Amino acid sequence: MNNSDAKIKYSVIILLEEKYEDFSQLINMFHEAFVKIKRPFEIVIVANGTEGFLRGELKKNDNYNSHLKAIALPQRTSQAVCLRTGFKISKGEIIIICGSYQQITMDSLVGLLDSFNDDTDIISPWRQDRVDPLFNKLQSTMFNAVVRKIIGSKQHDLNCNIKIVRRDVLEETELYGNMYRFLPVLAAKKGFKTKEVKCEHFQERGKTGFYSFSEYATRIVDIVTLFFNTHFSRKPLRFFGALGSVFIVVGVFLMGFIFLQKLFSGYPVGDRFELLLAVFFMALGVQVSSVGLLGEIIAFTHGRQKNDYTIEKIFSQ
Amino acid sequence: MNPKKIINGSTPIHLSIVVPLYNEEESVGKLLARILEVGRTFDFTYEIILVDDGSTDKTWLIIEQLKNTTPQLKGIKLRRNCGQTGAMVAGFDNSLGEIIVTMDGDLQNDPSDIPMLLQKMKEGYDIVSGWRKYRKDHFSRVLPSRVANGIISITTGVHLHDYGCSLKAYRAECIKSIKAYGDMHRFFPAIASMTGARVTEVPVNHFPRKFGVSKYGFDRIFKVFSDIFAINLIIKFSSSPLKGFAVCSFPFFLLTVFFGSLSVLGQVFQWTSGKAFFFLFASALNGMTFLYLIALGILGELVVGTSDLSHTYLSELTGKDMEVNCKDE
Repeated sequence: MNNSDAKIKYSVIILLEEKYEDFSQLINMFHEAFVKIKRPFEIVIVANGTEGFLRGELKKNDNYNSHLKAIALPQRTSQAVCLRTGFKISKGEIIIICGSYQQITMDSLVGLLDSFNDDTDIISPWRQDRVDPLFNKLQSTMFNAVVRKIIGSKQHDLNCNIKIVRRDVLEETELYGNMYRFLPVLAAKKGFKTKEVKCEHFQERGKTGFYSFSEYATRIVDIVTLFFNTHFSRKPLRFFGALGSVFIVVGVFLMGFIFLQKLFSGYPVGDRFELLLAVFFMALGVQVSSVGLLGEIIAFTHGRQKNDYTIEKIFSQ
Repeated sequence: MNPKKIINGSTPIHLSIVVPLYNEEESVGKLLARILEVGRTFDFTYEIILVDDGSTDKTWLIIEQLKNTTPQLKGIKLRRNCGQTGAMVAGFDNSLGEIIVTMDGDLQNDPSDIPMLLQKMKEGYDIVSGWRKYRKDHFSRVLPSRVANGIISITTGVHLHDYGCSLKAYRAECIKSIKAYGDMHRFFPAIASMTGARVTEVPVNHFPRKFGVSKYGFDRIFKVFSDIFAINLIIKFSSSPLKGFAVCSFPFFLLTVFFGSLSVLGQVFQWTSGKAFFFLFASALNGMTFLYLIALGILGELVVGTSDLSHTYLSELTGKDMEVNCKDE
């Protein structure tokens, strides 16, 4: 590691997933912006299954310089893996995570960097005056509202492909799957100071209209995963136990109903399908609850690797 | 997040005093002064670890000021309020002592009890718990606590009078091998005894609260009781999962047999046409659940088997133990 590496202030990590023609322009714009604000920086490009495209782009432009690092993952993999890879080779103190294209104007990005003070660990932009079609805006708003409601976050625009984070955040927050959009939510749960700053929306390249079914399914699974992880990963029994008890209560209620009927009106018990249903619900309840118990055993016996606390400062003499 | 263990000078640290603090700006200074006063009588090295559990007041500022005058002081500031257990674990993970003493930050515990705890420990115990024999709290807090203690004592098989007292002394390797999370600190002795630790208690002083507000409410009572239930389950199931699940599955086995024989009887004695069929299904459902639980139990054995839940080393202590026990007899 030479001297200039040590002083790098900003690392831009670009997750290159889609092939857009003006990609080199994106790099140039970042370059210009950082040269203008005169802070040491680097740009790390992580090609997620787009190695050929990246090579072509790099060959086209010879003016890429020492600020640029590129790494390619041979096969398309999850965003979390890409981010980790890029993070490992980056050296900056503040990391700007960016998607395949520019979503907010460079001016507002620089504005975000300005508002990143000592009291901030993560900034996520909130796109104003969005330029994408109404339907997309509606979907996005709904998604954010659902996350706010279920997970208890305070974010309004998780889908923006730019996130600015302090190094510690990525070091201490577990990311998995395609959940980099949830980074601010996870970081806030860890106690990092998050900020949401209004920004100018530049352009939108993503799909418009309805997404594919699997896209929606993934999003729903993401939210459920996030909900479980933020609320119950330490106490799975509470989650499964609550679910299981609902079934058991339904079963017991049905059973009681049948036997009361037998008692008061002599209605026969043996050949009623409600009896079967009651037994079924009780069995289901016990099965669900016991999965929670197994989860609890796992959390208890393997939980030490996962810390419940995050240290902000420590001194010893 | 374990920082490198740097030991200044030649003498390793013998005792670490871990104090979690949450909004205790009035108490910190006094607390530290009291600990230092007791510390002067120690003939070994010690460190004081103050853990600021995401306080919203000036607690951390005061800790930082105190560090200039107190060389034994170590400070940890957590990013958010992680709860007493989380704060304690953060302290344990960053402690260097062979023995760890925990206490409350609200001045209700008396640091001058520490030598007594250590003395008791020398008799061959891994955990010495404080017992607030003459508790200076309002009746409404003492009563639920009594009940909770009674239940913990009966259900866990580790018999102490006062599990809630924060003033406890642990042998470091004992407490560090525990996976603590949630709100577990009152169960440390019970969990540690699972790994073979020997636990005892001594009566300690208790002062009424002077500053700040008590961080306990009525919803806590419910929480403590549900914790007792959960942790008992976890302890029992983690030490032998298959046994636990097998016990749970036994009623389902009985029901399988019960419904199964009803079904056969129905067939034999030509009951109303539907009955035999329904009983057969009920029997199958129960049988399924029975098998399912057994399968989970086997899976549980696998999970526990691959875990790093280690048993505490007791070799060195055993010698001392025997001596003491012989003298007693």
